[in-house]
Order: sequence, then structure tokens, then C-alpha cells
Amino acid sequence: MAPLLKVENLRIELATRAGVAPVIDNLNLELAHGESISFVGESGCGKSMTALAIMGLLPEGIGRVASGSIQFDGEELTTASPRRLRQIRGNEISMIFQEPMTSLNPVYTVGEQIAEVLRAHQGLGQKAAWAQAIELLDAVQIPNPKSRVEAYPFQMSGGQRQRVMIAIALACTPKILIADEPTTALDVTVQAQIFDLLRDLRAQTGTSIIMITHDMGAVAEMSERMIVMYAGRKAEEGPVDQVITHARHPYTSGLISCVPHIMANLTEERHDLTEVPGIVPGLSEFGQDLCLFAPRCPRASDKCLSARPPDVPFGSARSSACWHAEDL
Amino acid sequence: MTDLLDVHNLTVRFGVRRKGGMFARQTYLTAVDDISFTVRKGETLAIVGESGSGKTTAALAIARLVSGVTSGKVELEGRDILPLDRDDLKDMRQKVQVIFQDPYSSLNPRKRAEDIVREPLDSLTDKSDPEKREIVDQLFKAVGLRPEQKRLFPHQFSGGQRQRIGIARALSTQPEVIICDEPVSALDVAVQAQILNLLRRLQAEYGLTYLFISHDLGVVQHMCDSVAVMYMGKIVEHADRMSLFNKPLHPYTEALLSAVPSVDPRLRENARRILIPGDPPDPLNLPKGCRFASRCPVAAPECRESAPSLDAVTPSHRVACHLVEGETSPLATLSAS
Repeated sequence: MAPLLKVENLRIELATRAGVAPVIDNLNLELAHGESISFVGESGCGKSMTALAIMGLLPEGIGRVASGSIQFDGEELTTASPRRLRQIRGNEISMIFQEPMTSLNPVYTVGEQIAEVLRAHQGLGQKAAWAQAIELLDAVQIPNPKSRVEAYPFQMSGGQRQRVMIAIALACTPKILIADEPTTALDVTVQAQIFDLLRDLRAQTGTSIIMITHDMGAVAEMSERMIVMYAGRKAEEGPVDQVITHARHPYTSGLISCVPHIMANLTEERHDLTEVPGIVPGLSEFGQDLCLFAPRCPRASDKCLSARPPDVPFGSARSSACWHAEDL
Repeated sequence: MTDLLDVHNLTVRFGVRRKGGMFARQTYLTAVDDISFTVRKGETLAIVGESGSGKTTAALAIARLVSGVTSGKVELEGRDILPLDRDDLKDMRQKVQVIFQDPYSSLNPRKRAEDIVREPLDSLTDKSDPEKREIVDQLFKAVGLRPEQKRLFPHQFSGGQRQRIGIARALSTQPEVIICDEPVSALDVAVQAQILNLLRRLQAEYGLTYLFISHDLGVVQHMCDSVAVMYMGKIVEHADRMSLFNKPLHPYTEALLSAVPSVDPRLRENARRILIPGDPPDPLNLPKGCRFASRCPVAAPECRESAPSLDAVTPSHRVACHLVEGETSPLATLSAS
């Protein structure tokens, strides 16, 4: 079957004070029907920018698709009219954001905000939309949906607000749900609830999910495949368990080993955490013909500084953009 | 080793106005409710809990940075610091310093890095100018900043570097205790590791005692010597590192640990995810029994009747749960039956 989403040679340029910078630099990826993938990387690596490009929500006048294509269900999105994009957005591709506090409108009840989507995209009348809003609140497991539908966002907890965001995003049973750090602002027990909910809803509706995160544990729990991004480029791609057990890019191994993971049988022994020295380069350094991770990489060689590494495939499902990928 | 910090029955209450127009009345929210613990010199006590559990309020009360302490004692080297007046406070503030969560909002944007680090020396000590300059130079080196960065302003630093400035500032008065309030939760994962390693290195070098506030159990496991788990203002479990992570007893602690997503596929398959439903109770209207009872998978009738006390199971392990028998957790009992 043809992939649901296909991004080819995508280049997104951002106008900065210092000039034009490629925030996304020759990105290729595919998402299958019903599949769940994750974009992983530190802030400033282009994860959210990729999501915004798919949604047609690049910051106007600042960011633009310079070349490449984004095909959704066979339809080219980069050249689609604003009218067509509005039809797709929130209807066939929808998105939930990191901060449920600021992404809901504080002056409308949550019911009105859910109903709005249904009226705009599904042509439902006032009453029918309201009734369905109540059903949706029930589906995202908000207790007493009949009375909570009239609540304002400030009257809900963070976890409940994120459930409302999910209800809005899933109101039109989209084909793709993009979740941009959906639980970063939430407590772990609430995070576990939200992950469970997303898994259930995915099983029921068959929605594909793109999750954006920097938490490898969350990736392992939610996705089948991951795409590790660094400085606007794809560093590594592959099935989650394979990548975690045997990373083929030093950045991926760094991301996994620098985090203190909970251990099943804790011992007295403690080591220093593996550091990935330095930070993600600024936009002005993006786009050079070399490996942008080299200054932070323990394996960097002259070659890394002389040319950009190509995506080296490993089998059909994996690839790594590292000159040393074979040796890792 | 001696106890450096000894907290007895600390309670912090905040006045809040209940809604109700002209009939609004003043009520109190008990953010920290009768907690006691000790920390030995050179060790790290982690306080974990979810938002609203009172962990930050407890820590800031110990640094004398919140008003509203209604009862209790906080003894630093045997001396209660709660009744101290202005002059004595200066001395105490040299000994207790804080590293804040957000390195963006906790540094004055209009001051140069060196002046930020120097600030506690100016306000709390009477050191001479050359002495202060020397201390600042040493601190920049100790936290991994370059000397030429002294003249820069906060916005010219990355998040991790800003947190290094915050750490240097906290170290400037040679404190005994540093309260680390979520010191890495605003940072990217790769930078987190750099800061956590730095904190451990500084602890070994200067013999520092940390009170480490965090909601990230992986970070806590890496940093702590002992852990206090808070829920709705109460300590529900307090144990040394090995006991808490290998043999947690309170159902809430177990739920917290099982909620952390794991990268290890074997651990994921074996883990019995204990999903606790719903949200915590309203802090202005707490139940009379155990505060966790409404979400607890094993709650019994007695849990709704009376609040459990924090009792020692072993000398280094205290737990507040009616259903703990001996050293067996109620959830283990449940899954065995």
C-alpha cells in the first residue's frame, strides 16, 4: 500500500536576521496507514518545524518550503491552496500541543471549542455538534461529561485539558494525529493516563500518530518507528527496539545514554552520566556541507568535517547519516 | 555521620479566599502538613512528588523563603532557623542557598554574569572587593565557564550555561546546604546530563548537602542517597535509595515508579503498570482518611476513616499506609492473592 504520508527532499528555509537558514535540510520520511512514529531530538533540531510544515502552519512570511514535497494520501500539500489546507487541517490531519494551558481558548467553554470543529468540518448543526462534544468528552474519559462540557479551561486540571485537546483533535477522526510533546507539561501518573488513552483511541480509530518528544522512554512506549533529528537533518531512522538496542548514529546513542533511566534492580554502584558535550548549533550554522554533529561527536574524524554524510541504509527499514555508521 | 538538617513537624499554610462574592471567606490551604526528616552532611535527600504535592514549598520553607510556616522546627547544625531575625538570617542564608528551576527567569537580565554570581557575597558577607573577585574567578572555573564570559549578560548564554551561572551563585557563600529545585527540568536531555554530573562533582569536592526537588524519578535515582515521596502535603514514604527503588512499599510510590516510561523492552514487558485513575483531591477540602485513598487501587474502608501515620518499617524506611504489613507492599499482597 502507498504510504499515507510521504515527505521527499523537503527543505524549509527560515528568514533570520543573519540571512536565510535551512531549518529542515533535505528530509525524507514516510508514514504508513495506522502507524505510530516518533520524531526525537533536542530543541532546535527541526522536529516541530517538520510537523508545522505538514500542517501547512509554517510561520507566515518567515518560513517557507523551498523545495521538496509533502504528499498526503497522494495529494501534494506544499502547493495546495490555503482553502484546501483549511479543509485538511483539523479534519484529516490534526495536532495537539505541549501546553494544554495555552492552546485552549480561555473565554469559551470546552464544549464550544469541540463543537466548533464539528460545525466547521462536518457541517453539523449546533445541537448535533453539542451532543457529539459530550460523547467525545466521554471517549477521552472525562468524568461527568454532561456537566463538564460547560466548563471553562481554567476549571480543569492539566491532564483534563490535554484530554480536551485530544477530543478536539480526534473530533473528525483524522487520518494523522500529530502530538507535539503531549505530556511534557504533565505529571508522570497523568502522562501514563494520556499515553493509555492515545493507545486506546488509536486501536479504535486506526489513526496514524506522529509523536514529537525527547524522551526515549515515551518513544519506546508509544511508537513502532523513530526518526532521530539533528540540526534540521535526519540522523537515524528505524524500528524503535532495534534503534534502542543498537543505535547506528553517535547522536542517538548519546541521547539514550545521557538520561538516567530507572533501573529494575538498582545497585549501589553509580557512574557519571555519559555527556554529549556542547549544544545544538545555532541556525546560522545549519546547511553546511559537513556533519553538523561532528563538534559534539566522540567519533568525529576529518571526513566528518569535509562532507555531509549520506543516509546509509541498513536493511529495508533502517538508515543512519553517519560516516562511521558501519562501525557502530 | 551527623545530621546537618533536622526538620521537625513542619507545617506551612497559605491563606486563600474562597469564591462567593461578598460572602467570600478566608480559608487556609495546608501546603505542607506536619513533615519531619533529617539529612546527613554530604548526602542528598530527594523530595519527589507531583505538582501540588508541596515539595517545593517544603524546600523553600527550609530556606526561609516562604511565609506561612505555622509550626515546626528547622534545625541547621542544631540551631532552629525559623525564629531567626534579620542579622542572624544573613548568617543562615550563607549556609543555605538555592538553585532554581528556570535558568531563564532566575537571573537578572540586566546584570552581567560576574555580578550575578557576586550578588550573595555583596549582600550577605563583608568580604573585600579583591576577595570577591577572586572567589568569582574560582567559581567560574569550578562550574565550567570561561573567564571571558564574566562580562556577558544572561541572554548571551545557553540554558545550560545559565544554569551554571545559577550554580556558581549558589556556591559563592560556601554554603552547607544547597536546595536544588528541579535544577534540570527546563533543560534539554543532553544538557541535563552535563549539569547533573557537575552537581555530583561539586558535591564530592565541597562536601555539599543537597535537598533535591524533582518529579523525574530517573534523575532522582541517579542523584539521591535517600528519598521522601510527598503526596498532598504529606510525606507518604521516606527511605534510603536502595530500599525505595528496589522495595517500594506505598501504593503511590509504586504507581509513580511504574508510570515512568522505560526504554528497556524487557522491563516494559515485565512491568505491571499500576494506573492510578483521576486527579488528586481538592487541597482545600481534603478527606479525613488517607489522602491517596480516592485513587488507591487497594484502598480499604479503614483508609477512608483515619489517616495513617508515617511509621518506621526498618531504621531507614518509613511509610504511611494502613495496609503495609511487615515489609510487604499492599500491591504485592494484592497480586499474590
